[in-house]
Amino acid sequence: MVFRIVIWERKLGGGSSLLLEVQNLSKRFGGLQAVNDLVFAAEEREILGLIGPNGAGKTTVFNLITGVYPPDSGAIRFQGKNIAGLKPYQTCINGICRTFQIAQPFREMTALKNVMTGAFLRTADVEEAKRKAEEVLDFVALGGKKDILAKELTAIDQRRLEVARALATDPRLLLLDETMAGLNSKECDEAVSLINKIRDKGITLIMVEHVVRVIMSLSKRIIVLDYGTKIAEGKAEDIRSNENVIKAYLGEEYRRAIRQ
Amino acid sequence: MKISVKSFTSPKGYVPLTFLIVLLFLPLFLPTYFLHVMITMLFFAFVGEAWNIIGGYAGQLSLGNAAFFGLGAYGAVLLTHYYNISPWIGGILIGGAAAIVLSLITGLACFRLSGPYFAISTLAIGEVMRLFFLNQRKITFGAEGVTVPYKGNSLLYLQFLSKAPYYYIALALMLLGMYITWKIEKSRLGHYLVAINQNQDAAEAVGVNSVRAKQIALSVSAFLTAIGGTFYAQYIYFIDPDFVFGLGLSIEFALIAIVGGVGTVMGPVIGSFLLRPAMEFTNAFLGATYMGVHLIVYGGLLIAVVMFKPEGLIGWMGGLYEWFLELLSGKEN
Repeated sequence: MVFRIVIWERKLGGGSSLLLEVQNLSKRFGGLQAVNDLVFAAEEREILGLIGPNGAGKTTVFNLITGVYPPDSGAIRFQGKNIAGLKPYQTCINGICRTFQIAQPFREMTALKNVMTGAFLRTADVEEAKRKAEEVLDFVALGGKKDILAKELTAIDQRRLEVARALATDPRLLLLDETMAGLNSKECDEAVSLINKIRDKGITLIMVEHVVRVIMSLSKRIIVLDYGTKIAEGKAEDIRSNENVIKAYLGEEYRRAIRQ
Repeated sequence: MKISVKSFTSPKGYVPLTFLIVLLFLPLFLPTYFLHVMITMLFFAFVGEAWNIIGGYAGQLSLGNAAFFGLGAYGAVLLTHYYNISPWIGGILIGGAAAIVLSLITGLACFRLSGPYFAISTLAIGEVMRLFFLNQRKITFGAEGVTVPYKGNSLLYLQFLSKAPYYYIALALMLLGMYITWKIEKSRLGHYLVAINQNQDAAEAVGVNSVRAKQIALSVSAFLTAIGGTFYAQYIYFIDPDFVFGLGLSIEFALIAIVGGVGTVMGPVIGSFLLRPAMEFTNAFLGATYMGVHLIVYGGLLIAVVMFKPEGLIGWMGGLYEWFLELLSGKEN
């Protein structure tokens, strides 16, 4: 079997197509090294996949990038500027927004107000925020449900709502944390086309996903984490035949499946 | 807001207008005692609105708002006493500024905490202020309290011989509180406060500087509460630290909004219009024979509301009001 791991190498000089550069990032929680000397980058308009077994540190990476907690060491460069240690609202102002693994809408607000809260980042004008929110809700196909309270939406619509709320902040980089968990195959297809539409707007995406079929089809490039360490990085087809990845994450079943 | 003739011909327009007109002419008919009850209702509706901004919209249960109230009260009385300064300046401007400064310190110390820890730490700030004013006897007269220096009928010194002027000032304060609350509710800040109340992490993730939003809410609340303190001192003519900085007062601010309905413009008004008369009348009729019975009534009401209508009485009252409006417009057609 032929496999190849493409190790990302830092571009020297005017490599300006890099939107996000994560350099030697580490985070420890007590006795657990959640993220260990992690190096990766995301290019402009890329859909970068982040996969790995449970507890591999994927969500921690998101939390570090968005400033939920500061890294122990390392740098996070966004558009050339080190944003490590900024607070979540500051990273959002800089143009990074995220969704949560378990959807966290403002439950007692309507869908429209939820998205308006995001839109208020770029305008203080209520009417303008409302217009923007309606536009984004239409974009994620929630336009017809804008007056429904968030808590009354289905789990799937709540995730759409979270994506809409994040998009309303006009991000350059969107971090999606397991947006597709629990979706059936039709819903998955809708989500895939939505993600492609977001990318076509010029937004870079990093997505944590367990639905391997989806991430393989969406992402040109995938990073695999295990115990906080990057064990592989490369094109989807290389990742799925990588011995380490199969051992740590995809499993022997998967190897048998792709051999057939 | 668009105002046209049509706004006043539909029940939605003329019903609130009728209420307002009734409130305006009430002092002409009411006996003094009932006027006093009305003044406390309007006044507590105002300080309830002030509490509601931080406690209701932002959901930060402050049990220290009496600290701001006391600064407004003591600012007015002591500066008139020592320097003959008008309470408009001494209470509202200087006392209000002191309340804002204290709100900044409170924010710095307490916004790192959330839930019960925030409530407990604001409670401590109220107690610190009470003890400070109790112990600085040379300046504040300590537990003896201070009497407002008598100036006769004077708008400049906010003193009146009859109750009617106090009534109109209290009414204006309540409307001011409602207007400011309504303005905040419609604004970006209002949206942010509600978002923080519902899910602070999610709000931060979409770019809300939660500390800043809460700080603005607390400072506005503090300033308005200080104005309330000034009015109270000028109306009652006597203040002492145990009352104006007291925990009882802080709790009452919160209760008025909670019973009426937190995070709504009308909530504190409904809460005050129900709780204050209940308190005043039970106190008047039973206070002499059964001391403290009014507190039992008060506590009973609170338990009933929290158990059966946790979102406050505004749920029922709002429904009743809508029904009344429909009844009126139905008759017209």
